[in-house]
Amino acid sequence: MLGRGLKRKLSDYEENMAGLSSRQLVLNMCLTKLQTYKMLVEPNLHRSVLIANTVRQQESNCCDLRSVEDPIENSLLIVSDDDMSSAISSILKDLDFVEDISPPTCLVPTGDDQPKFSENTGLKLEDDRQDLKGAECVFGSFEISNSTSYLKDLAIDDIFEDIDTSMYDSDFCCPPLMPPRPPSLATEEPLKTFPSCNSSSASNIQICRTDLSELDHIMEILVGS
Amino acid sequence: MAGVAGGGGGGCSSSSSNDFQWCFSQVKGAIDEDVAEADIISTVEFNYSGDLLATGDKGGRVVIFQREQENKSRPHSRGEYNVYSTFQSHEPEFDYLKSLEIEEKINKIRWLPQQNAAHFLLSTNDKTIKLWKISERDKRAEGYNLKDEDGRLRDPFRITALRVPILKPMDLMVEASPRRIFANAHTYHINSISVNSDHETYLSADDLRINLWHLEITDRSFNIVDIKPANMEELTEVITAAEFHPHHCNVFVYSSSKGTIRLCDMRSSALCDRHSKFFEEPEDPSSRSFFSEIISSISDVKFSHSGRYMMTRDYLSVKVWDLNMENRPVETYQVHEYLRSKLCSLYENDCIFDKFECCWNGSDSAIMTGSYNNFFRMFDRNTRRDITLEASRESSKPRAILKPRKVCTGGKRKKDEISVDSLDFNKKILHTAWHPMENIIAVAATNNLYIFQDKIN
Repeated sequence: MLGRGLKRKLSDYEENMAGLSSRQLVLNMCLTKLQTYKMLVEPNLHRSVLIANTVRQQESNCCDLRSVEDPIENSLLIVSDDDMSSAISSILKDLDFVEDISPPTCLVPTGDDQPKFSENTGLKLEDDRQDLKGAECVFGSFEISNSTSYLKDLAIDDIFEDIDTSMYDSDFCCPPLMPPRPPSLATEEPLKTFPSCNSSSASNIQICRTDLSELDHIMEILVGS
Repeated sequence: MAGVAGGGGGGCSSSSSNDFQWCFSQVKGAIDEDVAEADIISTVEFNYSGDLLATGDKGGRVVIFQREQENKSRPHSRGEYNVYSTFQSHEPEFDYLKSLEIEEKINKIRWLPQQNAAHFLLSTNDKTIKLWKISERDKRAEGYNLKDEDGRLRDPFRITALRVPILKPMDLMVEASPRRIFANAHTYHINSISVNSDHETYLSADDLRINLWHLEITDRSFNIVDIKPANMEELTEVITAAEFHPHHCNVFVYSSSKGTIRLCDMRSSALCDRHSKFFEEPEDPSSRSFFSEIISSISDVKFSHSGRYMMTRDYLSVKVWDLNMENRPVETYQVHEYLRSKLCSLYENDCIFDKFECCWNGSDSAIMTGSYNNFFRMFDRNTRRDITLEASRESSKPRAILKPRKVCTGGKRKKDEISVDSLDFNKKILHTAWHPMENIIAVAATNNLYIFQDKIN
């Protein structure tokens, strides 16, 4: 965000810092930043990694110094460190949900297929676009049409435990998933249970041709029994 | 220390005691205090001859300036840069699959070497690279058989005679057309593109991967570097910049957020995850702080024109590396060491994550990089002298010599010095470019493009 040329008085900030433990201050800032990034739809990978590394390094330094420092400050640090560890883990896990369309070491057919897929889903699910964030990511780039047995092997309850699946019981044209949580978290859970969703590029092409009848069929398999 | 093959003035041999005297030449962009976000310049690049200067902005537009031919009646005045072509390169997109908006901001522009009358450049945003053809049209055909002068089709049965259309001159029109669109190959944000010396391939790098493309083929790319860990929780390093070697088409380098540079040889294996050379300077334990890792992150890497050296920019310094020596740089230049004691505040306002670029002059004898308060710095590698200059409207009188600036770090502030606390951290110069042969520099200050030239003696 571009400010309007307001000049910051750095000296004021530095004076405030003197009152608190400087490490505590920095760790608090790290935690705040990580939490802010977590709320963004698309966290900045570069910054998240740098902050996470900084915090991890402080944690390891902390372990060395804990015996020496003031017990009260230790307890404050311990609380912060736990928060931070979980913040780091969750923010990096969230980054993983970013759908990976470029698998390593293989030729990736690009260009025509991806936009076509977006276009198709756009046409069919126009009315429920808002609700589809969860749906589209669940049925993203993996081979539904050829791997129904693969789907049966999965623990069905885990996949949709955070999503209201009562809508699947009736006939429907579009799958209007209504994830109760914000989209970024809802999409993360289902994707984690499909570890091979990043595999072959051929799946991208096949998804382009998956039509609704196949989606219906799969929904019945997943939810029916 | 004159630049190579300077225009005018004959063939002056380089004398290392001569310093540059930079003069204001031109400034492009609006003067308003209220800067529209879309107008913020995000990349600046001269073409191979230096006759064209391209800028990209946050609004996805590309503006190309062309150097006017020198005026015969005023032989001492250098050619000015005037607008040659403006076009919308990238539009904002919405990724429906991930519910993400894809910014139209142009991250990088790279020119292709000129092979015919048209000019080609690559421009990229976070996800898509485009090859643009910029061509001139100064003639049009008249006297078609099947069309009227106003373009309406003539009834074929009414045509009784044939004529050959003739070419007539028209006002010069510069057209930009997208010739290739290289899309859908990057999950993460593209930070670099680099054209290979073979003039047929180029690389694009995002946070975790580098892809190799052929300029003619848009539906596939080869992944040549992949540093994504199996488990994202183990991610500790990202790719920050990448560039092909200027002469060896099999060699490229990429820099990381940990301050390391890896040189890879594409002949050794298809996937260049194993580097041929690894450049890292051991950390100085006495300067260790909370922010050591963050400020060591490399924001730009550039090969010298000779191909013997490369330069890296991290938050506080610029380092020159000899490709034959991996364990430390051969030269280190401090850009704004006075910020070292202010790192906490700079972290708090996110300035510590600013990505400054750097560039070489044509003869590799000098390097330039930006700083805050619209300051930019130049370092002479031979004399080890450095200078701080400012890009501001105040010093924008035609051919006015730029006065060196100085930042006062403490104690008594001398006249004309500025104290660290008074620096404006919103005025940052991230993008600079140096003409490939002459001493002309382009400096992007937010939404303005400043062009400075070396005074001819």
